[in-house]
Amino acid sequence: MSQWLAHVIERAANVDDWLSPVRANALAELKQKQWPGRRTEAWRYTSLHKVADLALKTSSQAVAEAPQVNGLNSIDLVFVDGRLSTDIAHLQLPEGIRIAALDAKSDAAEALFANIKPAHHLFGLVNDVLAQQGIVIDVAEGAQVEQPIRIVNVSTNGIESHQRTLVRVGQGAKATIIEHGVGNEQSLNTVFAEYDIADRASLEHYRLALQEDQAIHVGGSHFRLHNESKLNSTLVGYGSQLTRLDVDIEHAGEHAFAKFNNIYLLAPHEHFDLHSTIEHAQPNGTTEENARGIIGDKAKAVFNGRIHIHRHAQKTLAELNNRNLLLSRGAQINTKPELEIYADDVQCAHGATVAEIDEEALYYMLTRGIDKQQALVMLNFGFVQELLFQMPNKALADWLQPILRQRFERMMEQK
Amino acid sequence: MSEQIDQALKRKYDAGFVSEIESETFPPGLDEDVIRRLSAMKDEPEWMTEWRLQAYRKWLKMEEPDWAHVDYPKVDYQSISYYSAPKSMKDKPKSLDEVDPELLRTYEKLGIPLHEQEMLAGVAVDAVFDSVSVVTTFREKLEEAGVIFCPISEAIKKYPELVKKYLGTVVPKGDNYFAALNSAVFTDGSFVYIPKGVRCPMELSTYFRINEQNTGQFERTLIVAEEGSYVSYLEGCTAPQRDENQLHAAVVELVALDDAEIKYSTVQNWYPGDEDGKGGIYNFVTKRGLCEKNAKISWTQVETGSAVTWKYPSCILKGDNSVGEFYSVALTRGKQQADTGTKMIHLGKNTKSTIISKGISAGRSNNAYRGLVRMGPGAEGARNFTECDSLLIGDQCGAHTFPYIESSNPTAIVEHEATTSKVSDDQLFLCQQRGLDPEKAVSMIVNGFCKEVFRELPMEFAVEAGKLLEISLEGSVG
Repeated sequence: MSQWLAHVIERAANVDDWLSPVRANALAELKQKQWPGRRTEAWRYTSLHKVADLALKTSSQAVAEAPQVNGLNSIDLVFVDGRLSTDIAHLQLPEGIRIAALDAKSDAAEALFANIKPAHHLFGLVNDVLAQQGIVIDVAEGAQVEQPIRIVNVSTNGIESHQRTLVRVGQGAKATIIEHGVGNEQSLNTVFAEYDIADRASLEHYRLALQEDQAIHVGGSHFRLHNESKLNSTLVGYGSQLTRLDVDIEHAGEHAFAKFNNIYLLAPHEHFDLHSTIEHAQPNGTTEENARGIIGDKAKAVFNGRIHIHRHAQKTLAELNNRNLLLSRGAQINTKPELEIYADDVQCAHGATVAEIDEEALYYMLTRGIDKQQALVMLNFGFVQELLFQMPNKALADWLQPILRQRFERMMEQK
Repeated sequence: MSEQIDQALKRKYDAGFVSEIESETFPPGLDEDVIRRLSAMKDEPEWMTEWRLQAYRKWLKMEEPDWAHVDYPKVDYQSISYYSAPKSMKDKPKSLDEVDPELLRTYEKLGIPLHEQEMLAGVAVDAVFDSVSVVTTFREKLEEAGVIFCPISEAIKKYPELVKKYLGTVVPKGDNYFAALNSAVFTDGSFVYIPKGVRCPMELSTYFRINEQNTGQFERTLIVAEEGSYVSYLEGCTAPQRDENQLHAAVVELVALDDAEIKYSTVQNWYPGDEDGKGGIYNFVTKRGLCEKNAKISWTQVETGSAVTWKYPSCILKGDNSVGEFYSVALTRGKQQADTGTKMIHLGKNTKSTIISKGISAGRSNNAYRGLVRMGPGAEGARNFTECDSLLIGDQCGAHTFPYIESSNPTAIVEHEATTSKVSDDQLFLCQQRGLDPEKAVSMIVNGFCKEVFRELPMEFAVEAGKLLEISLEGSVG
């Protein structure tokens, strides 16, 4: 047992609000949990020794600004060290959308909290018992909300914080949600989000886990897709001291469609771990998952992509592809694309590659007079750029591209 | 159509008979005394007894692995008898004429033509009947070439230095639960030694046969190929029908020294249990090979039997430019469960590995590929290609893929591809249109699906494997 977890359990006893009955279940579950070690399959390649005895402050008075994204024109909900700093009462909201804080009891919160996120995520349980601040977004049936809603989590020095996001997209509704995390000083920040996407509804989702350097970030995005609903999600991650993300996409209705792209770009010494699980519980679902990563000097990436097709889920189409580039000696990738299939009339495929830059492509560029460094950037960065181009939100893609490019160029220099 | 399926599923196991031969058998149970007795019984030197005891002590501290995608009732290791030998062994048959006629008849039923093999096939057979090797043929011809091919029990006595030098170097005593158990109680198996620069003049083959109720089989095979040598080894097995689950925990160690090549082929058709999976063999096997410089180890397996399979033939590519290959067809039906795959550990520079795995699931079975490709920091320019395809026949079975890829060298290239599908209606339709009945059509399609693996098998096995698959698939069309 870790000191830190013991302390979490202690602190959980002091949390008293309208969610307490649900939190009690999570706490009971949490008490049963073993602290993960190398033999715990879900943590096989990610050591938690940096968290085990972590003792950070749990309250903060810090004030911070959310990073601006030009042209995005989003409704921003900003959390600093887990505290909501936006005055949500005075927000100008488009029609059909309601935004409330987690501490106010609501139908939506009740329906979603710890209901979509699978209970087996250790840090999800921690978030269940400790996340007192959060946001509940309820998109009414048929509402077509074009304006993106951005939830920003800023972590500051020496603080441990927990934040929760709950989103319900009503029948036939449409919404765009961006989860944006930043912070580079020593901190621990858990952010879990649960999404319920009703029949024929459509969600455009982004998770930018841009914590870096000394930050520790653990979180998850969990989706339940109902009949004919659509999810288009893009995850962009840096490594930070430790970043661990769990994404679950559950096809709970028929004819649902999920597209999930992820990009990870790891600077020296960063650690990034993404576990994605696609549950096809109903027939006729489609999933396309693409993960691409570039791993810099002494950074370590872990990717575990699981597709589970239940007995009943006939006519499922599911594809998963993971491609990785190691930039240098000392960089490491551990990938495991898993298929677990119990229905026969399905088409499933997965692929994973780990490779260096294609020498021939490089040679071709050199013969065209392109300088080597530049050619390398073009080739390698092109590899992840392809996924950036697929992001439906152009403003966000345009903002991200130069940032990722600069990061990549720095990675090449440090190689 | 479903009638046909039912019929096929109820098909009795062809090789299901029990031959009655008097046996000398230990009472069930396992402790240090049993191991000492076993060792004494086999007239082993002190170091061997001690080696077994060390393994046993390690085993006591270990836990049975539970990570595989299989589910079976706990094995009671104290209810197994750890030694059983055909009685006629005591008179040491000098030739086939002296062999217990009952035993010979058993082989005949299984279609192992010893005489014919001597005459025609040029295959030397070290037949393992239960635990003691009974007949070894072509010994002299092999001796001429300097090849040693004998029961490992004999090798321990005759070539103690060789056995001591290599035994447990690839699969250490405490490697895993089943390997530790095997190290403690292995009864017999084969020992092969190919001297420097020798190309083994014939394919070596062992037929396994599980007999004698309640007797676990713990074979130990050790193959050492000296520098620049070559050997192809065939392993095939089948077992009589019975009601109690039988544990089979074999260990196979291959050592390929510089420039050597070992080709190891297996056709496994042990009793898979009845429709409910009752009574089949538990096949928990550790197979691993070590490649030195420029060496090559190739594993080919066709797995159609056993109730539960837990098997990962692996290669440690230690030497620069060494090559590892794994070609596998695993077919499960009824309630069979297979968790099988390979590990390719790339340590040396420019090492290469290829993995081709074909899983076919029918009935209510579960078939999982589990593999590991590891590129160590020193695996400069190493290359791996993995392809694992699954075919599902019927909607009550499962096909799973768990590939682990670990890379820590930027110049190493790893490629993994996996697909899962059913026998396509279009293909079936096309075949039927050409006048093939659905069963033949499926058999053809499946054979095509497995072609890449079958062509790696030696001739004798390729025929057997094709036939085995056809029989196993009978009526699975739906």
